[in-house]
Amino acid sequence: MTSIFHDEFMRTALVASLIVGAVCAYLGVYVVLRRIVFVGAALAQVSSAGVGLALLTGREPSLTALALTLGGVAAFSIRPAGRKAAQESFIGIGYAVASALAVLFVAKSAQGEGHLLDVLSGNILTVTPAQVWWMAAVAAAAIALHTLFHKQFLYSAFDGETARASGTRVGWWDLFFFLILGVIVSLAIRLAGTLLVFAFLVIPAVTALLLSQRLGRIYAIAIGSAAIATVAGLYASLRMDLPTGPAIVAVLFILLLLAIPISRR
Amino acid sequence: MTHHADIRAERLSPSGELVVFEHANLGYGKLTVLADLNLVLASGDYLGIVGPNGAGKTTILKAMLGILRPLSGRVRRDASVRFGYVPQRQYVDETYPLTVMEVALMGRYSLLGVFARPKQKDREFVLECLDHVGIADLAGKPYRDLSGGQKQRTLIARALAGQPQALILDEPTNDMDIGSEYAIMELVKHFNTKDAITVVMVSHLLNVVANYARDLAILDGGVRVVGETKEVLSAQHLTEIYGVPVDVATVDGRSVVLTGVVHD
Repeated sequence: MTSIFHDEFMRTALVASLIVGAVCAYLGVYVVLRRIVFVGAALAQVSSAGVGLALLTGREPSLTALALTLGGVAAFSIRPAGRKAAQESFIGIGYAVASALAVLFVAKSAQGEGHLLDVLSGNILTVTPAQVWWMAAVAAAAIALHTLFHKQFLYSAFDGETARASGTRVGWWDLFFFLILGVIVSLAIRLAGTLLVFAFLVIPAVTALLLSQRLGRIYAIAIGSAAIATVAGLYASLRMDLPTGPAIVAVLFILLLLAIPISRR
Repeated sequence: MTHHADIRAERLSPSGELVVFEHANLGYGKLTVLADLNLVLASGDYLGIVGPNGAGKTTILKAMLGILRPLSGRVRRDASVRFGYVPQRQYVDETYPLTVMEVALMGRYSLLGVFARPKQKDREFVLECLDHVGIADLAGKPYRDLSGGQKQRTLIARALAGQPQALILDEPTNDMDIGSEYAIMELVKHFNTKDAITVVMVSHLLNVVANYARDLAILDGGVRVVGETKEVLSAQHLTEIYGVPVDVATVDGRSVVLTGVVHD
């Protein structure tokens, strides 16, 4: 099994996917607990629309994606319709419109539709070492910040009303969390694509929540299951000539299915 | 029940006024929920706020806590007062995998610096608070596996963990059987009389609050009465407020509010 990871591009792909998996699985625990799974999906689409826009206008894709994603974060954290329509519906609209824009931008860009699949589903096998270093540094910073302010993020998410009553600036901490999420998602989709990033945000967290009632262990299990799925999925994709991202998602789902009977004992 | 001196409330400003509402109009945006409210919450008080859903009970609480500014008028708050807020149990999200200790420890956060983590002495204090509400043995249990009464005690312990001078409880006996209801009401009374903690309790159950609160504020569609419980709680008064026949009976020194008339 180790022989296939001898090629440099395979090692790079493995490391990139492990980093993306770990940071998304970690933040995903919060995404799932806060019931904002679709914010993750919508931000991923907004981010890919940013990559599309960059291809169209000849800008730097990562920066454009980041700018658009942070714009998305700001848009999702305000309430444009007040009480007349649920916030959720705007997240849905963001998802649909961003997906359409991504396709439109790429279709009109110089590279044309040949690039479409890579933008939309990502290709972990074409990642460069420089991209991996960037991702590693930002992922480490995201996890460090989230750990440092864990008590504020936890209190704001778990019981915002009481947190506010005791002086916690819940609005700011929520925005800060979304900013961290936005930065990670916009960088990660350049490496792994929207599908894999979204799957990493949701599936390992749910698997972990099924298996443990302790927050520390839940983070560990989420990251562990993302890592197992990464290695097994990459291996399977090479051995059976399958697309990498979907193969990893399939393994994540198998791990989730295995967790269900264990959680019921 | 064990008694810990350090849970006692400290003495405050000489006037003893924690919150003063002066002709305060409270609401959200263009919507005024309560107009021209005058109310003084003084140190040591036990104030019951009673009214149906939507009458503005939670609105008063938010103004007391300083998280809602009055639309007009004034709400003066003693800046040195620490409030312990006990939200409705239903608003606390049970999907979170947190132990009783982890939930109660959150009450300690407001006393810690931005970067600080809870230390051993914080855990010890929280354990004392859990002991004070009678559930120290549940500290390691998942919060979501508790009964309603145990969850309520956890949230009260969390409020105590912030060493408050005043406790604000929002519908603490909702959906409880009379045994648990009695236990919670006696516990809160104990904080007020023995620990000198000021108590504000919101409830839609007049009968429950009437025998504990020294002062009552009754809210109902703009009609408001604020005063000592024994004065507010008269049959004539309540009949006027609610617009239905109300009797107030006394059984062994306890007040019972009865509604309606006997049909043959």
